[in-house]
Amino acid sequence: MAKSITNTIRRLRFDHNEMTQQMLADVVGVSRQTIVAIEKDKYSPSLEVAFKIAEYFNAPLDSVFQYQ
Amino acid sequence: MSYKERSIWVSLAITIYIWFNYFSELYWSAQQNTLTTSSMQAALLSVVIMTIVLEIMHHIVIAIIDNKNANYDEDERDKQISLIGSQNAYYILSFTSIAAVLHLLFPVMSQELESVLGLPNEYVIINIIIFGALLAEIAKFTTQVFYYRRGF
Repeated sequence: MAKSITNTIRRLRFDHNEMTQQMLADVVGVSRQTIVAIEKDKYSPSLEVAFKIAEYFNAPLDSVFQYQ
Repeated sequence: MSYKERSIWVSLAITIYIWFNYFSELYWSAQQNTLTTSSMQAALLSVVIMTIVLEIMHHIVIAIIDNKNANYDEDERDKQISLIGSQNAYYILSFTSIAAVLHLLFPVMSQELESVLGLPNEYVIINIIIFGALLAEIAKFTTQVFYYRRGF
């Protein structure tokens, strides 16, 4: 079975005082629709955005994004 | 629906509306044998003016409706979707260029088209290119809408 990139952003947002998608979008500099697409695994962000998200949640990149 | 997607839907509608008017006017003028180079130039001029006016109105209305996102700048996903749309448009434009060159090299292939339109050869070529550019534009917008709807 082909591998794909998944993520735990929804869970991380929830753990950060139920942060909204719009708030995260504003922090990393993308639209809310892009955050929606990332969370649904429909869009794989660039390395830059991936690092920004991981940095914001203060988590290692591979705990935010998984290739499985 | 995002600001960007809404904007693309409106641009698609404007493009189809304006160019449908142009080609239907061209067709009916040709049917009534009233098609001349000056009437075609007038139709093209009205297309340019209508495009400018409708696009300005479009941006004003969308900015009023969705003023929060009026200054929205494209993000990386928008740019990628836009690139795929442009790629599809490029294929159609390339095909159009080949069709225009073939028309020039082998006029026998399109003599019927010239007799139907009753226009000089160079104006037939212009319309082939315009039609190809229109298809390319529609392909670009529909590709973008497809990826925004389906998810990318």
